[in-house]
Amino acid sequence: MRTGTLLDSERKSLKKLTKFQFPNYFKKIGFTLAIISFTVIILNKFAIDNAVIKSIAKYGMLVGLLLVSVSREKIEDELVIRLRMESFTFAFIAGVVYALLIPMIDYTVDFLIKAEAIFKDTGDFQILWMLLVCQICYFELLKKVR
Amino acid sequence: MRNRLKIERAILDITQDELAKKIGVSRQTINSIEKNRYVPSTELALKLSKIFNKPVNDFFYLDE
Repeated sequence: MRTGTLLDSERKSLKKLTKFQFPNYFKKIGFTLAIISFTVIILNKFAIDNAVIKSIAKYGMLVGLLLVSVSREKIEDELVIRLRMESFTFAFIAGVVYALLIPMIDYTVDFLIKAEAIFKDTGDFQILWMLLVCQICYFELLKKVR
Repeated sequence: MRNRLKIERAILDITQDELAKKIGVSRQTINSIEKNRYVPSTELALKLSKIFNKPVNDFFYLDE
């Protein structure tokens, strides 16, 4: 009886965690943060060139995209939940393929152009950025054609 | 799986938007169900059954 109650409460807290979403207005906040961070990254690359600003802007961009990704829709019904799950599956697979392919492509291109190449890992920012952008774009596409 | 949702909706003379609001989903979800692109959950089917005042089998049926 006691074990059953414990399992029930654990199941409830797990469900609460997996179903967690921010309110719809966080989507706008996330987009704004991502656009500001993107602008700062571009400005920093061509004008300022500061490593600290670059790191902060990268974090800002990931946080912004994450907010967009985990914010509710205005009407969050069962079809939207299914489309969201499909987009997460797609983004996960695309992210893994990207992480595997990009170093190989980089290596091949370097080898063909410079005739010498070093095998470089894909950076964590690059993978996370790609994963989040893939999820958001695929989710929007699925919503459009639903 | 196919359905007669459009016909049932026409009998009640309500729009997709009105039906969507009654069962708490978006208009696009009703459109997807009508076009057989999405099979709803049992919960949603039972809500529709309550609105149409008919058993679920009357408006959802398996493809022959």
